[in-house]
Amino acid sequence: MSLAPLLRKVFLVDLVKGMSVTFHNQSEKGRITEQYPLERPVVFERYRGQPRLNVNPDTGESLCIVCNLCALACPEQLIVVKGERNPVTKRKEVVTWTYDVSRCMFCGLCEEACSTDALELTQDYEMALFSRDGMVLDQAALEQGQEPVRYAK
Amino acid sequence: MLNAIESYLSSGVTPGEAGSQLWAAIYILVITLGVSLAVICMNWLERKILAHMQIRLGPMRVGPHGLLQPFADALKLLIKEDIIPTNADKLVFLTAPVVVTMTAFTTFLVVPFGRAHAVTDMNIGVLYMLGISSLGVLGIIMAGWASNSNYPLMGSLRSSAQMVSYEIAMGLAIVCAVLMTSLQTGTGTLSMIGIVEAQQAQGMWFIFKFFPLGFIAFVVFAIAMVAETNRAPFDLPEAESELVAGFHTEYSGFRWSLFFLAEYAAMLAVSSIAVTLWLGGWLRPFPNALSGPAWTLAFSLVPGLSFLVMAAGTFLGTIRMPKIAQMRVQMIGLGVFGALLGLVGLFLLLPGVRERVQDVYWFVAKVAVFMYLYIWYRGTFPRYRFDQLMKVGWKVLLPIGLGVLILTAVVGLRQELLAAMVGGPR
Repeated sequence: MSLAPLLRKVFLVDLVKGMSVTFHNQSEKGRITEQYPLERPVVFERYRGQPRLNVNPDTGESLCIVCNLCALACPEQLIVVKGERNPVTKRKEVVTWTYDVSRCMFCGLCEEACSTDALELTQDYEMALFSRDGMVLDQAALEQGQEPVRYAK
Repeated sequence: MLNAIESYLSSGVTPGEAGSQLWAAIYILVITLGVSLAVICMNWLERKILAHMQIRLGPMRVGPHGLLQPFADALKLLIKEDIIPTNADKLVFLTAPVVVTMTAFTTFLVVPFGRAHAVTDMNIGVLYMLGISSLGVLGIIMAGWASNSNYPLMGSLRSSAQMVSYEIAMGLAIVCAVLMTSLQTGTGTLSMIGIVEAQQAQGMWFIFKFFPLGFIAFVVFAIAMVAETNRAPFDLPEAESELVAGFHTEYSGFRWSLFFLAEYAAMLAVSSIAVTLWLGGWLRPFPNALSGPAWTLAFSLVPGLSFLVMAAGTFLGTIRMPKIAQMRVQMIGLGVFGALLGLVGLFLLLPGVRERVQDVYWFVAKVAVFMYLYIWYRGTFPRYRFDQLMKVGWKVLLPIGLGVLILTAVVGLRQELLAAMVGGPR
């Protein structure tokens, strides 16, 4: 064995180097662990999460005009929109509006297809449920949107 | 009553020397509690420091910065189901954890936390400690055998092979230190207190004696002691990726926690041997060079001040906690913890207390350095393969230990002869 590697071994140079690395890691600088329920991560603006049906903030009317474009655009065909024409206002109004989140792959094509910005995939991400029962959302649930559970402890 | 306590405390001898069984019982109780408390602290510190070394946070939820995590763990272990495998050898299975724990705790009988702070001072102290702590491997083999399962058996066999091979290097390193005690006086001593007093008489810690001989012996011991306690990077008996948990795979609940307790107590025990033999035991830094009342006062203030510094650090942490409603309780908890540390610091500053406690403080501080090293090793080094482990033990540490032993004898003898010729003090 030549001299340099032998000396490295005898004086445990590599071990000491490794120990200096772990020692310096102890500073708070590099730590990126997120204390999730306490501090909630900010997701990107274009993140596609829980769907929502927007309403006109002034009048509270649904922005949906029952054009069925979203249902046609959906590759999973999980959106079912049925409506009928209101004889007074001559506008189509929603009768049933369901969105099956359990089958959704969040491609966002429905959002793109919507001509009135009524349907939107929001940045809410806490969508886990204990059963599939609550996963078919109706109009009321979609308009209300998701209320994130607050961590209290 | 008070008079008797006062007269004993001011006598400055160990209960063994005083021949007092009552005080021995009190010391044993205090040491057992202290070691258990240290194990609890180590549990939290290990998880926290290891996490920080791996750029994680570690326990954060149970109490402020996870301070109550060890207690939560202990509670969980106590109320866990206690499983004894059907095919296990029941008697041996039940006695194994007791054997391991007892041997780990019995070693503390002779550990000198201070001149008067040891249960007794045996004239074969080091030998006794080595003997008892090696008995621990018997408990490990019992556990592995009685479990009647493959992984525990493999783990315990590995453990016994490892202990046998590292015991020798460890013994050689210890003999070096014992040889050094015979300088000047002519007769060496195996008594733990005697070894520390020899270091004081010779004016230096044995780690610096005959530099680098003492240091090499110390390094050999420091490596062997990590292997002896089955800790990373020599944790082959409980190699998680290979043997599930090694010899305690079949254990659960309280019996498992006894193994845990014993492992950490054994770490503390071998660290205290290292501190006693090479790092001057309870002696404060520079007891001879920086003597005199001023220095004595300055050094006796250190224990209290160090606790106050810790309290200040805790308060800094309290201030830096995120100001949200959910963290309110944790913030108060951390503040209370800091206040407790501060109170302990102030208590240690009292004149009557600081005289008696500083021995213990310096000893514990030195042991704490070793405990940190254990965690540091675990955070840094990957596990050795078994043949590498054997190679390090037999082909590296053993020859080095022998060589250092012979050199120490030669150098020591030369010094003695020179001193005899000059006619100086022997």
